[in-house]
Amino acid sequence: MRSLLLAVLAAYVVSAIHAVLAFLNKRRALQRVSEWAMGAGFALHTAALIADWAIDGHYPLFYPRETLSFLAWTLVAAYALVLYRYGARPLGAVTMPLVSLLTFIAVIIRPATSDRAEASSLAASWLFPVHTTLLLFAYGAFFVVFLASIMYLLQERELKLKTFSAIFHRLPSLTMVNEIATSSAAIGLTLLTVGIATGMVWASSRDGRLWHNDPKEIFAALTWLLYLLLILYRSSASWRGSKAAWMGVAGFALVLLTFFGARLMGGYHVFG
Amino acid sequence: MSIVLIGINHKSAPVEVRELLAFSESACSEGLRTLVDGDVVREGLIVSTCNRVEVLAETAAERLGDTLERVNHFLTRTDSVPRSFFESHVYQHTDDEAVRHLFRVTSSLDSMVVGEPQVLGQVRRAYSIALEAGTAGRILNRLVHHAFRVAKRVRTETGIGANAVSISYMAVELGKKIFNSLEGHTALLIGAGEMAELSARHLVKAGVSRVLLANRTAERAQNLAGELGGETIQFDELPRHLAEADIIICSTAAEEYVITEQMARESLARRRNRPSFFIDISVPRNIDPAVGKIRNVFVFDIDDLESVISSNIREREREAERAELIVESEIMQFQQTLRVLDIGPTIGALRNKLQGIARSELTRQRNRLGPLTAEQEAAIEALLVSTVNKISHPLLSHMRRSSDSSDAEAIQAWRDIFGLEE
Repeated sequence: MRSLLLAVLAAYVVSAIHAVLAFLNKRRALQRVSEWAMGAGFALHTAALIADWAIDGHYPLFYPRETLSFLAWTLVAAYALVLYRYGARPLGAVTMPLVSLLTFIAVIIRPATSDRAEASSLAASWLFPVHTTLLLFAYGAFFVVFLASIMYLLQERELKLKTFSAIFHRLPSLTMVNEIATSSAAIGLTLLTVGIATGMVWASSRDGRLWHNDPKEIFAALTWLLYLLLILYRSSASWRGSKAAWMGVAGFALVLLTFFGARLMGGYHVFG
Repeated sequence: MSIVLIGINHKSAPVEVRELLAFSESACSEGLRTLVDGDVVREGLIVSTCNRVEVLAETAAERLGDTLERVNHFLTRTDSVPRSFFESHVYQHTDDEAVRHLFRVTSSLDSMVVGEPQVLGQVRRAYSIALEAGTAGRILNRLVHHAFRVAKRVRTETGIGANAVSISYMAVELGKKIFNSLEGHTALLIGAGEMAELSARHLVKAGVSRVLLANRTAERAQNLAGELGGETIQFDELPRHLAEADIIICSTAAEEYVITEQMARESLARRRNRPSFFIDISVPRNIDPAVGKIRNVFVFDIDDLESVISSNIREREREAERAELIVESEIMQFQQTLRVLDIGPTIGALRNKLQGIARSELTRQRNRLGPLTAEQEAAIEALLVSTVNKISHPLLSHMRRSSDSSDAEAIQAWRDIFGLEE
């Protein structure tokens, strides 16, 4: 399905270039091209994932290549939702290049040929797709929180310093990025909670243990705790501004550690 | 055809000169009727604002010289001052230059403050006066509408009008930056100075739904409240009402701080941390600078506003360079429109082509006819030419009608069908 993924990559690159140009030039036409290319890329990507699943016989979220591709797919979905709900176009200027990069890496990574048996044995349970999909969507939501938080902090800083850079005028308002961060964090936390819970159920059905002290589990727990605090902190007042935004940034650092770091340290979670 | 633009503006002439030439609205329509005689000047339009007096005219290409003379004479019509007095101030543009000037004016590139859009409304008004006076015909209609389109393109594709360059708009712009939309938000005016009043008007126009006014003299506050649909509050009740307000504009003559850090903190707590935006346009300042250090509170004093405004003006000037490129490309498009609208050359070319066909056919068949007298030859040629003319007559008059109704597509179709592009 490499050729299909190449087509996806092409669409995402077109979308990314146009999103960046639209951000710089504020031209509606560029933004439209970006959104159409993204839509086409997303449709092809969905087809590619389904085809992978059908051909390889396991849920396409096992090997690093698959995981990166799937992650790119969730990021596009998350951005599309934000775009639909808030019309916050500037997010695309960051999201789409990142999505393109992830897809590019997924294209160039050599598909793993070994461990096929393991892949299908692990992936046999219906809990595997649920567990992994939920978590990747949670990461997508936290990425949106991260971006919105950065946008909040940048603008708050400029408002306090009273000097505005060129991008200041192009970013969505403080109220909007605050809202995006708050609702994305709530969605992300919900997905993370259910994702971790299904992981526990799955683990206990395999070896009777809920918890393995695996680095990924520990980081995931920390991540969960941090976003829970973030939500509680935010809901204790209707607006929390920069402190909450810093938590959104820190939370994403933990997400990255959970996603990549834990892999390097090995443990129970053998795959991406 | 030719387009002529003659006038003076804030750059070419001081106000003492501009006011001598300015037209009132009634003088505009009256003047247009005198200027446009249907012979030398076929169409006309007068734009007269405090920053410019300009006459736009359309004429036949061969009457250009007469037109320039006529418009110049018309513009500098005043009896009290000799015409030579204006000579160094008046600029005169023809054809592409005139089009460029008009496009730059409507796109606000020629304005005192680049990007300020008022001039577009003024040109619109001037155009409707010309329409009423019947002096805007098919060429000026096209030209002015094209100019409006250029203005719109420049506005949407560049940031020329994006950033506020006056204190009162700044309140709206920063308010939107913080609150996204001003709808459902409350503004509080402390002190009802002229600048505060202007800002409040802009805020209301931008959607602010509630205005509170606190003034030491209740009468002034009440008058303004009546006008803006606001509510007056007692000056000593300020601390109580501060929490209700999202945007606070301070402009009192007080010597001490009207808003202290303590008040701002209490208000923020009552607002559950929702951000508030303070504008302090008073000197000495009415808001304790320490207020600006509180999280979720944004304070702009008069110097902050001025410095943002000057950086916004620089930003607009950068954007203006991009706008100039748009203007240039639009001039090229308009030339194309004009070529199509200018039906004379098209009709001439078509007539020549058809008659050329008739003559070349005659030459080809001539030797079959045997010897003919010169009279007979002339008769044959006349026969052919008049046949061609009779056949093409309905076609040509239809083309003229398409041209009169500015049906550019139809005219282009005629040109395509008969291969007249070369």
